[in-house]
Amino acid sequence: MTQTIKLVFSNLKYLVLSSTIFATMLIGLLIMSEYIFLEPYVVSHIPSGTEFGFALIVIISALSALVLPMNIFRINILKSSKQKMGGSLFGSIIGAAAGACSCGPIGFAVISTFGSVGATATAFLTNYEIPIRIIAIAILTITYFTTVKSLKVECKINS
Amino acid sequence: MNKKGMIIGVVVVSIIVGIIASVSSSPSETVNLDMGRTHGTISTAMGSPILGNPDAPITIVEFGDYQCHQCFNWFHNTKPEIEQQYIESGKVNLVFVDLAFLGKDSPKAAQASYCAEDQEMYWEYHDLLYTSQESKIDSGWANSERLKAFAFSLGLDMDLFDSCLDSGKYSKRVSFNTQQAKEHGVRGTPGFFIVSSEGQQQISGAQPFTVFKQILDPLL
Repeated sequence: MTQTIKLVFSNLKYLVLSSTIFATMLIGLLIMSEYIFLEPYVVSHIPSGTEFGFALIVIISALSALVLPMNIFRINILKSSKQKMGGSLFGSIIGAAAGACSCGPIGFAVISTFGSVGATATAFLTNYEIPIRIIAIAILTITYFTTVKSLKVECKINS
Repeated sequence: MNKKGMIIGVVVVSIIVGIIASVSSSPSETVNLDMGRTHGTISTAMGSPILGNPDAPITIVEFGDYQCHQCFNWFHNTKPEIEQQYIESGKVNLVFVDLAFLGKDSPKAAQASYCAEDQEMYWEYHDLLYTSQESKIDSGWANSERLKAFAFSLGLDMDLFDSCLDSGKYSKRVSFNTQQAKEHGVRGTPGFFIVSSEGQQQISGAQPFTVFKQILDPLL
């Protein structure tokens, strides 16, 4: 498993890509979920009772940063199928969507634009925020293990 | 002659009954609002009563929804310190204005708070809603029956409260407040304006106490 990770991330391009994905997703999700505020001052805080939600965001960002570059590596270097890329993208997107809190600016914009349909959709994302994030983590974890397995076979790595 | 007398009698009795009916119903229907009340550019006439010293030099105008969990976070994590350090000392007061948009129970909950205000229990009811909030929007925790149960638990006159809530007496008041929020560019809840003689500053989201302190202290 570590050999597979080394194989992908020994290439600086994929290391940079991974860091970019992690930072972008982490900061973006923390802003969306109101753990970070940019105005009037840049400030971060974790309100009591929201620690678990914060931990899930960190895990989703880390898994996305691990799985997405590995799948891009498979497609670019090994010219493999894009099937697992779909799984990693899907996991990342639904994990991110769970953070679209209906209280925040995104939720307000969606509700203002789409009316009751938007309200129902954002209420669903808010009500099931934690289960959706856990499902996203499960999808990303499964995608990670299947990707590692594929890379081992395709690159003939001895575990 | 007799017919004429009877008609006049019916009219007089109708007028008397009408007057009695309007007088007897007026205590529960009276809306004692200062229609000219503004804070900065925001009309808070239809908002909550003022919490704290009405003559305080600074007012925090909070736009919120009773079903918003970030409002819940602010209520429990930031507001207590603001109350303790600024409101209780008379330096700052606070007005709550509804931005009831999250679900079908949100406007009803806001209306219920004004029905409690009719019995001078606005802030008690407001606090009870934020203490009783459940994590899921429109899960039924703020439906009409539960709103009435909250009123009952506070010892409100239930006949007055029920008739107020069921009649939708304050639906336009809540709509007006939501419109105020939109006109002032509030894009989510909670949203705040710190209003003083030096102008008004907007704060978006359930920001921590340190942010409010950094803004409030230089204004005092």
